[in-house]
Amino acid sequence: MSNNNRLLLTVTGMLLIIGFGHSIARAEYGDVVINNYSDAAGMRPVIFPHWFHRVRFRCKVCHADLGFDFKAGGNDINMLKIIDGEYCGACHDGQTAWSVENCDLCHSAKPNTPTQVHESTLQKLLSPAKANQ
Amino acid sequence: MNTSKTTQKILYKLAVLAGLLPSVCLTVVYAQTEAGKSGEDIVNTICATCHVSGVAGAPKTDQREDWAARLEQGDDVLIEHAISGFNAMPARGGDMSLTDEEVRRAVVYMLALVRSIDSAGDAVVTEENTATSQADVAQPEPKLVAQSETQQAQPAEQSTAPAVLQPEPTQADTKQQAKVAAVNTFNRLMKPASQRNPAPSKDGIHDPANDATNLLQPPAEAFDTLPKGQSGNYIDWVKALQDGHIAPWFDLADANAQPVIMDLNIIREVKGSMPDVVYPHKQHTEWLDCSNCHPAIFTPKKGDNQISMAAILLGEKCGVCHGKVAFPVSDCRRCHARKKDKIKTAEGE
Repeated sequence: MSNNNRLLLTVTGMLLIIGFGHSIARAEYGDVVINNYSDAAGMRPVIFPHWFHRVRFRCKVCHADLGFDFKAGGNDINMLKIIDGEYCGACHDGQTAWSVENCDLCHSAKPNTPTQVHESTLQKLLSPAKANQ
Repeated sequence: MNTSKTTQKILYKLAVLAGLLPSVCLTVVYAQTEAGKSGEDIVNTICATCHVSGVAGAPKTDQREDWAARLEQGDDVLIEHAISGFNAMPARGGDMSLTDEEVRRAVVYMLALVRSIDSAGDAVVTEENTATSQADVAQPEPKLVAQSETQQAQPAEQSTAPAVLQPEPTQADTKQQAKVAAVNTFNRLMKPASQRNPAPSKDGIHDPANDATNLLQPPAEAFDTLPKGQSGNYIDWVKALQDGHIAPWFDLADANAQPVIMDLNIIREVKGSMPDVVYPHKQHTEWLDCSNCHPAIFTPKKGDNQISMAAILLGEKCGVCHGKVAFPVSDCRRCHARKKDKIKTAEGE
């Protein structure tokens, strides 16, 4: 068996795992749970729905202009920064989108949900806990 | 007398020639600007791969019944599907080097082939098919220039007619679908359609005990009007943007700012049996800034980037987005879109 065939088999196997992982997670593709500080602060973790935002803004707006790294939980976001107009606060200021008083609209995940991108390949390949490493 | 007659004849010929001249010039100009492969060539080399044997449910060129429901949608819709892709049909038949015009020629040629099947009677096409373009392509071997002119003469709205996503099936078609559906009740993706795009309160991560959860918009409600996809959000985001279903801002400070589009395909040759990868800068620059990928994820230099499916599956390289937000790797053919034996237009790394 050539290396190429072996690689193909590996990939097929991984895809099968992805397929069977579907029955566990059902969240919308691309929903990001951010739980850097929430649980510790007694708040529900944040859910960021990519689909809702990409309908309104191209990736570039947040990922180039606002400086969000392509990593769930990899941006050290806290409420102070948001109130100062950084990260989410660039829009969630009561002008473009709802402001920080509406805590529960963003902090809406089940408590103790780990930081991860839901329905992601990584989440389905590895255990959710490892998806964040 | 004789000389005057000869002069008259010459003058007459000149007049006829002069009359023809504009159309000849137009034809020449048009042929020059629209040069490329003929529909017949494309059908025989590319489309035939699936449409002769019926791979992946492709309607066969010699099976008229495969086409009944499709023909009813009208040529423009089929051309549009061939260009943009539809269900199992890959965009441009999987050959991203084809121009819109070439794909159009191929579709016109293939439809002419199909229509020629029942020219001996047994008409399946109903009276409803009154689209003018269909009459024009009734011959099995259509003349390209003549068609191009017809196409140009048609009003522009026809080519931008909205795609019919769920065509009214014929009775035979419905029966066939029911038969196939019975066999396919088990969903190989382990995720039946009813479980897709769940409302926040039912998606397993939102806390149903949180009152605000119910204020959030259910994705299915927003996706209702968007073109459907096969995986991820089950939305074809690229098409949604191209066709103007969504108008996401490119700049927070300026609603009218337009992206700088770079139209350059990078072909990456793949060692295994998979078709080569076609990376379109165009669709990526519609959404992203150069700095999002270069140089942190991809060095903008030929041969510098080692990419493997393993890395992508682990969330690196293409996997930074594909498999998280952009369409996942299960849509193999959206990237592995180029058959190996095709002539290459752009050599990638």
